[in-house]
Amino acid sequence: MKPLDILEVLPRSLWVTTCNSGSCNGCDIEVVATLGPRYDIERFGMKLVGTPRHADVMIVTGPVTRFMREKVKRIYSQMPDPKVVIVVGNCGCSGDVFYKSYNLVGPVDNIIPVDVYVHGCAPRPEAIIEGVTKAVLKLESLRKKEPVSNVVETVGEPVAGEVAL
Amino acid sequence: MWGQINSGWGYWNVFIWLFFFVLISFFVLWVRSMGRMDYKRNTDQDEIYWSGNDVPEDGADISVPASSSYWGFRVAMEPLYRFLNSFHSGNASDYAGYFVVTTALVGILILF
Ligand code: SF4
Repeated sequence: MKPLDILEVLPRSLWVTTCNSGSCNGCDIEVVATLGPRYDIERFGMKLVGTPRHADVMIVTGPVTRFMREKVKRIYSQMPDPKVVIVVGNCGCSGDVFYKSYNLVGPVDNIIPVDVYVHGCAPRPEAIIEGVTKAVLKLESLRKKEPVSNVVETVGEPVAGEVAL
Repeated sequence: MWGQINSGWGYWNVFIWLFFFVLISFFVLWVRSMGRMDYKRNTDQDEIYWSGNDVPEDGADISVPASSSYWGFRVAMEPLYRFLNSFHSGNASDYAGYFVVTTALVGILILF
């Protein structure tokens, strides 16, 4: 057995990087609240890292402005495989009220593949935590190279007029 | 004479030093071999992370130079730095020369 296979049996923490692709900061504040002492998601092992090169999960907030398109793509491509993308907030999921804006190229799944959508404006930390648990499951399947269903996980209630994915 | 140097506190033996050097080198290489090799070469995955921007050829335009840190400290200590700078030209062989001289002095102090 190779040393890496031995390490494989140890559960690994989820390392997360965030990307604000043009959000109003509301979603980011909820992500910070999820990491803060009240919800303290680090107790489940989710750790915020400063560079996508260490991250397993990318949390994207915001509807992706024209200015941010290449940056979002580059950050995604700098993450090692396997990787999972969580979109937090209605803006990133669908563009929300800004979806017809001349300056948007989003929503996020127009730019990069998305695995988990967390709805809400802004979503509550509980919803973000649920999104993270779904990301963990998906990541575990990817690591074990199990077939992964194409069904995209959705958390929270889509707002009126938004297509449930 | 070269094998062992005794001091008031212990001894330094070149063979023991080499033995541990090789041992620790193997350990370091073993830890390194467990690193991830599955990143994709020549893609963004082995590029520098610059907040999602292109890595600039010349970063001077968009970065604050390291010399700006501890500015006040540097200004206050400027006479000392000027004095120290006068010892060398910035050429790496100067540093190597001082290193050899210092090592020889320390060796003389230890051996005699
Ligand atoms: S979903 Fe709401 S809180 Fe989040 S970025 Fe959009 S407007 Fe702001």
